[in-house]
Amino acid sequence: MNFAVRIYRWLAQAFPHEFKLSYGAEVTQLGEDVVEDIAKRHGVTGLIRLVADIAMRIPLEYLSEMRHDLRYALRVLIKSPGFASVGIISMGIGMGLTTMVYNSKWQLIFRELPAAANAKRLVMPERPVSYYYIEQYREQKSLFTGIAAFQIGIPFNISFPGEVNAKPKRVFGQLVSPDYFSVLGVQPQRGRALSAELDKPGDAPVVVISDRFWRDRLNSSPAAVGQTLRVNGQPATIVGITPKNFNGALSRYPAELFVPITAPAAIAPELANDVLHRRHAKEFLAMICLAPGVTIESAEAALDAITRRLDAQDPLRPLRVDQDRRVTLLSAGGMTPIPRNVRPAIGGFFIVLMGLIMTIVCLNLTNILLARQANRRKELAIRLAVGASRFRLVRQMMSEGILLSLLGGVAGFVLAFELAVLRSKFTPPTAIPEESNFIPDWHAAVFAFALAVLCGIGFSLAPALRATKTDLTPALKEGSALRLTGYGRFGLRNLLMVTQVAGSLMLLLITGFLVIGISRTSSVQTRFDPRTMYLLSIDPVRDGYTPEKAQVLFEKLPERLKTAGVASSVALAAQAPFSSANEDDAIRLIAENSRVQISAIEETVGAGYFAALSEPILAGREFVDLDQRTQADGSKALPAILNESAARGFFGNGNAIGERFRDDKQSYEVVGVVRDLRKELGISRSVIYIPLTRRNFARPPANGMTMMVRPIARMDAGTDALSGIRREMASIDPDLAIFNVRTLNAYLELSRRAERPRSIRSRRCASNSADTAATSAPVITVSLWALCRPIPSKRQQM
Amino acid sequence: MSKIDVQKFLPLKTQWFHIMLSLAGGEQHGYGIMQDVLDRTDGKVRLWPASLYGSIKRLIEAELIEESNVRPAPELDDARRRYYRLTALGKRVLDAECERLQELVRAIRVKRGMVTE
Repeated sequence: MNFAVRIYRWLAQAFPHEFKLSYGAEVTQLGEDVVEDIAKRHGVTGLIRLVADIAMRIPLEYLSEMRHDLRYALRVLIKSPGFASVGIISMGIGMGLTTMVYNSKWQLIFRELPAAANAKRLVMPERPVSYYYIEQYREQKSLFTGIAAFQIGIPFNISFPGEVNAKPKRVFGQLVSPDYFSVLGVQPQRGRALSAELDKPGDAPVVVISDRFWRDRLNSSPAAVGQTLRVNGQPATIVGITPKNFNGALSRYPAELFVPITAPAAIAPELANDVLHRRHAKEFLAMICLAPGVTIESAEAALDAITRRLDAQDPLRPLRVDQDRRVTLLSAGGMTPIPRNVRPAIGGFFIVLMGLIMTIVCLNLTNILLARQANRRKELAIRLAVGASRFRLVRQMMSEGILLSLLGGVAGFVLAFELAVLRSKFTPPTAIPEESNFIPDWHAAVFAFALAVLCGIGFSLAPALRATKTDLTPALKEGSALRLTGYGRFGLRNLLMVTQVAGSLMLLLITGFLVIGISRTSSVQTRFDPRTMYLLSIDPVRDGYTPEKAQVLFEKLPERLKTAGVASSVALAAQAPFSSANEDDAIRLIAENSRVQISAIEETVGAGYFAALSEPILAGREFVDLDQRTQADGSKALPAILNESAARGFFGNGNAIGERFRDDKQSYEVVGVVRDLRKELGISRSVIYIPLTRRNFARPPANGMTMMVRPIARMDAGTDALSGIRREMASIDPDLAIFNVRTLNAYLELSRRAERPRSIRSRRCASNSADTAATSAPVITVSLWALCRPIPSKRQQM
Repeated sequence: MSKIDVQKFLPLKTQWFHIMLSLAGGEQHGYGIMQDVLDRTDGKVRLWPASLYGSIKRLIEAELIEESNVRPAPELDDARRRYYRLTALGKRVLDAECERLQELVRAIRVKRGMVTE
């Protein structure tokens, strides 16, 4: 019993100060008075109940005080609307940006692949490999529980059997090995997943569709599984639907359709030319599920050893003695695979960026609060004088800070949400549809709430401690006229100001560098009005054409449009003109005579390409129809046109025409030189242009074959020109799907806003956040503006 | 005060009702309230000390009870204790609650056929 009384007394001391002052003594006394009676009537259970009663009461009393504090804080904020609005606006902008960074970037990099049970154990080699190699890797059963092969961003022209005369819809999907879903650990929500046992080569074609495809294109039809679609003109049966939110591995590039690699080449031209058995066809990404307990390092070492052995066995491959790793594994269980050594750096960058924004906001508010405390000095002194504890006042003032911060947090979350909605309306002109905008979900809301509480405590603690450390007598006498403390050389206020200015400048610098980084796409100079050129894409192979028929179409199409009088110039290209390229796409080239090596970007363009762009040929000639018939199988040198940078890199100021160079597959002969069409950061990259050949016609790239059409002058502007072109193309083949129709100007505008992701590496993650850093300018503005404001107490004196 | 003010307190929390009922007889201190409730309910309802004072605090904030300066005769007075009493609002609220409970009891009786109306 004595023990219970001791605990009871001890707990009674833990009540909040005000409650203790009013009722503490009585609670203790009543407890002591009744303990004997309770022990007699209820025994030990009663004593436990007595102690539990007081233990549960304590947090309730604290909550009640907090409620009072918040109500009081709300009244204070309503009374000073100027302070409240500055606080909420600056907090809201800061929190909005930080929540946006967290939501879009952090989740993209660090969130696990949705619906994939094996996400934690997934890794993938950085570079594509051939299916032959993947089959060899599969032998390592002690290291891996499974290895799937897949290709992302594969376009499919889809038509539904019920729709008569409807143009096929172009959707993007993945070509996957049958074990793909079991390697990822993904269970279908309906039907079955693909499996190595059930899906064999030569079987009737089947596909698995994504949840999005099922909802958007099949209206969530319950009879979807078992339904037949026409995929690139061929019938294929839907056997399963993937779970909600699952967009395939590398879900940054969402897939709507999963076609097994056992399908015939008519369904997926990517599978033509025996691509599954050619050891040099490095066209597949490998998704590896590590066996339990196997580290990514040991898996990498083992794969590297196998790759070296396979390379050495290859009779066609030149002997390499390099020591570098030939296989680099990325952890692939997230939305974007990133090299593990880059991960801490990217994470650190975001933390620093978010931290810097929030630090500036908090410092700004701390400064304002410190200045404000002068006005409230008398009020606080009175409360201290009548017996309020310092802790109580600190808590009171911090409640104001936290309330302000929470209101800012709500404003910030709304801002982040609106920005995300706004951004999702700007679709970047990527070859493969890319999903990098995420509408903030509950994760982001929790993040914003936690951040708001943390910041509220962060920026109000120092002013609260300082305000309550007041010498009562002068404060009561002079009130707000008292000189503020903290103005010494190393005083708190001065230190805060210095930090705030330094932080703002650092943020400005980061912003500056990043904005310069992305503005590199803006330096395109065309020699004509880009509004007068239309870009259209077609992909006849996926409309059911044979490669031979496709080639005939591509050869006659430009001439047909010109003779019909709708176009003054027409050219074909495998990519849109002036498109940017990642460094990862650069290929090594070596001059055959001088052995000079350069790295260059390769662009594949058709006959008359430079004429269509009004680009003069500086030396030599442009591609002609004959070049498009060259066999690109390595047996014969392909004609090539160099830009000035590439020509200078290879041959200095000498004549380049007729010179030869090669890459690891093919030899090229220079037939022409053009100027550098595009500059990045003021620097031109080396570009080699090679002609479109039968190979390209048989298998157009992911965004189809781009047709660059300049309508004839008299029907220059508007829809007339376009409808003329469409009409003429429909007269050649009414079933030919035309997509990605836009003016060159519209394309260039979009390119400036977003860069093309051709590589799965997220090396440019940092530059992607330039927009975030750029939008942090308001934070700096509000912060510096507040710094320049006179201190309220001083202003009142005037 | 208006009628609406009374209604917003109803139904009263059980603890509040017991405390106010104990104070209906006159000024009382915490220990007295506790004993009164125990006696009235044959020991079935016990107001535990911390909860009792938590409720007293809230009843005072709600202006249903107040601290009383009137103390009993010196031989009955315990100088260590504070006394509480019902305010005018508290009395009206208690009356309204009693009326409400009586209505309920009447309704139950009618339903069970104990009385006919």
